[in-house]
Amino acid sequence: MKGKASMFVFIIVLGTILTTLLVAVDSYTKPMIDRNAELKRKTTILQAFEIPYDAETIEQAFADNIRGRGTGGEKYYLSKDDTVAFIFGGSGLWGPITGVLAMNPDMQEIQRIVIMHQEETPGLGSRIAERDFLDRFTTKVFGTGLMLVPEGKSNSNSEIDGITGATMSSEALIGILNEDYVQFNQIVNSE
Amino acid sequence: MTTIMDGIWRDHPIFSMLLGICSALAVSNRVENAIAMGVGVTFVLVGTAILIALLRNFIPQRIRMITYMLTIASFVIIVDKVLKAYFPVISESIGPYVGLIITNCIIMGRCEAFFIQNTLGQSLLDSLANGFGYTYTLVIIAIVREFLGFGTILNIPMMPESWTRWVVMAMAPGAFFVLSIFIWITRTLAGKDA
Repeated sequence: MKGKASMFVFIIVLGTILTTLLVAVDSYTKPMIDRNAELKRKTTILQAFEIPYDAETIEQAFADNIRGRGTGGEKYYLSKDDTVAFIFGGSGLWGPITGVLAMNPDMQEIQRIVIMHQEETPGLGSRIAERDFLDRFTTKVFGTGLMLVPEGKSNSNSEIDGITGATMSSEALIGILNEDYVQFNQIVNSE
Repeated sequence: MTTIMDGIWRDHPIFSMLLGICSALAVSNRVENAIAMGVGVTFVLVGTAILIALLRNFIPQRIRMITYMLTIASFVIIVDKVLKAYFPVISESIGPYVGLIITNCIIMGRCEAFFIQNTLGQSLLDSLANGFGYTYTLVIIAIVREFLGFGTILNIPMMPESWTRWVVMAMAPGAFFVLSIFIWITRTLAGKDA
């Protein structure tokens, strides 16, 4: 019994010390990590609008060129020529997928998509973040919903060529885009 | 002194004991990733060495593994947070693999084979040596892979624009090729499998 008690006590003491250490490190690094996340958000939005920027001028470029509307989950962004962009997000195959979708002012045609974060399979699902794939969305319209077709077979302006080997990740992305588009279409048009 | 030379050459974690291969393959595509991963693993090794060697007479026998895991996991979380706070770009490149340092056999292996039964000083030397051995391996492989796969080293272009990249070097198969050649050369030089 004594042996078991000492094991228990040891683990509890060790666990407490390590947890305290981690809490300290976390609170010390949290402001910097949050700031990095904010910068990442801004640079992704700048990329979606195709506004050039340098590492030092991110805040400046953002403030000069972009207006925000709405708050919290309903926030969307307008560039100088009224292009609309919003942040989309949802579940991918392995983890969350988030990104920015830029559309022309009447919320019909897609201009550009940039992926902000994804945790899909490296080399396969993660190819949804590649420029070659995302450029296939430019000038497409949502209509009743975007659809993925096998590579090379798209023939309507709501169909997107998929990537072989990345079916689940790309289907997840399309689902997220369709869902968030409906939500933001409503929000933008009700202004 | 032998402790140091063991970690760096005689009992090198990767080519002698064949530990830590998974991350060596995944993270060696660019030199900056290799350096960051090497430093991360070394930090976790050193931190774990200090804690385990200090506590070695107090850790009850039956919960050794749990103790190693708690310690390693804590240090890995610290590395992950520090990377996210100070080096966000590198954190994005090697993000998933930082969490996997916990599973890196080198660290568990050294805990059980060395830190639990050697003094603090010796454990510190061993952890630094193994960390260094791991890091220089990753960096050498990354220099080859980044040079051939991207034409750059540490993002500084080394080859003219017209040169065709060996894309396979940037992907997993390239990693296997370079790593196995590395193991072949080093084991021959070290006189193993004679």
